[in-house]
Amino acid sequence: MPSAPVLSFADATLAYPGAIGLSGLTLDIEAGQAVALVGPNGAGKSTLLKAVLGQVPATSGRLAVLGGTPAAALDRIGYMPQTDELDPEFPVTLRQVVMMGRYRSVGWLRWPGRADREAVDAALTRVGLTDLAGTRFGRLSGGQRQRGMLARALVSDPRLLLLDEPFNGLDQVNRDALLGTIAELTASGVAVVVSTHDLELVRAVCDRVVLLNGRMVAEGPVDATLTLPLLEQAFGSTAATVDGATVLSHPDHGHHPEHGHPAERGH
Amino acid sequence: MGIEVLWEAFQLPFMARSLATVLLLAVASGVIGVFVNLRGLEFVSDGLVHAVFPGLVIGFAVASTGGLIWGAFAAALIGAVLLTVAERRGLGSDATIAVVLTSMFGIGIVIVSRQQGYVAQLEQLLFGRLLTVTDAQLAQIAVLSAIAVLLIAATGKEQLFRAFDRHGARAAGRGGFGVELVLNVAVALVVVAGAQAIGSLLVLALLIVPAAIGRLVTRRFAVLFPIAVLSAALAGWAGLVIGFTASVGAGLTPSPGATVVLVLVALYVVVLLGSLAATRMRRAAVR
Repeated sequence: MPSAPVLSFADATLAYPGAIGLSGLTLDIEAGQAVALVGPNGAGKSTLLKAVLGQVPATSGRLAVLGGTPAAALDRIGYMPQTDELDPEFPVTLRQVVMMGRYRSVGWLRWPGRADREAVDAALTRVGLTDLAGTRFGRLSGGQRQRGMLARALVSDPRLLLLDEPFNGLDQVNRDALLGTIAELTASGVAVVVSTHDLELVRAVCDRVVLLNGRMVAEGPVDATLTLPLLEQAFGSTAATVDGATVLSHPDHGHHPEHGHPAERGH
Repeated sequence: MGIEVLWEAFQLPFMARSLATVLLLAVASGVIGVFVNLRGLEFVSDGLVHAVFPGLVIGFAVASTGGLIWGAFAAALIGAVLLTVAERRGLGSDATIAVVLTSMFGIGIVIVSRQQGYVAQLEQLLFGRLLTVTDAQLAQIAVLSAIAVLLIAATGKEQLFRAFDRHGARAAGRGGFGVELVLNVAVALVVVAGAQAIGSLLVLALLIVPAAIGRLVTRRFAVLFPIAVLSAALAGWAGLVIGFTASVGAGLTPSPGATVVLVLVALYVVVLLGSLAATRMRRAAVR
């Protein structure tokens, strides 16, 4: 690739009071790549995402986003946080939520205009939620909320998309929709970084994996990295081999069903 | 005395000033109260109310009635900054706020109890003097309310973003210290504006109850504002009429500020019962 990487860590240590520290991070992510962050709770997946957003500094080593500082790149980053903390009674429509993704480019002291409304319509079409634009956000299903948040992350045409646990609790239809959108985005040159426990998803849509456990355990192509010895280094003894594929039996202390687990298949 | 008391009372200059006061406060507290509600800042607002009290007392001790506004203003701004910083640092727990508000309130009581005739003064500072608002005070209330509303109008979309999704807003560089400080300062300005008129304690009801009524009535963001403002205005007007009627007709002299607040709370209860009944009827219709 001739151009500079979208995201570049060089022996970076990330630390901030209140955030889980992460060390030994060396990683280049190019345009059009989808990279998974995999590791147990407390491994530093969120810390890495926060560092890209400029909320956690690199205390040593180097971090460059789109060739510059995280703060300078903020306009070109789409971020999809977890939706479970959001208040389902909050009086906003799906359309209003997606519009929030335009606020930064609209600027202080100004209100969204026609171009912004058109961008919101386009983003809603992209995730297949046009019909629900006027629905209150809290009335949407979990999967529809996730897709709505994805539309919000996409509405300002980012070059880098950060997804924080986007597949937790999704049904098959919404999973497939989300996977399809990610594939479309990488095909159009967007770099995608996704933190997840879902190894099946990683195999389906990601080019590379970063294994984390307070430090970078390993990084590389999916098949060469999701191996039992490396997963055991990251997760301890919860990794196992089922039907020839490596899976995690208790990736999240049992909170989230793991799709690779035989008992949870097909839901 | 007939139905004409509903408007004739306000031909008296002091009643007209009182009405103008409650209407101005209704607009400011209704608008800002919506964001207090959406952010869940009720207890922080309570902290600001109590922080303002020693400011009122010190202002009064230094420069009598004319000093009230400046003492309150200084205390409110200090309180707004401290509470915003505390929240940022993760110290914005209920315990922190409770410690701050009770100690501030204690300081105020100690100072006021050293004044002569302190019971009457305490009552005035706590419950306001809605019927004796002067033209100068009315002008101050108008300016403070206008600044508070302008602050929120200017940052409205960022306030909405921050209230709905803290992490998302922060990631977009739109939910930072500045946005939080602006809302806390706006709350502080409303508290200062309302403190002299309906009292530093009762102004809290104006910030919280109208927005709560709005949340019961609608689930549309934009509709919350007119409902909150109209509820507060209706309660202000009705409270003044009731207070006036009781004074003139029955020789009672209820605190007009307290009357306004009680009418507001009564309105909340009526709307709450109505909303519960509506939910029930809808469920029955589904069955």
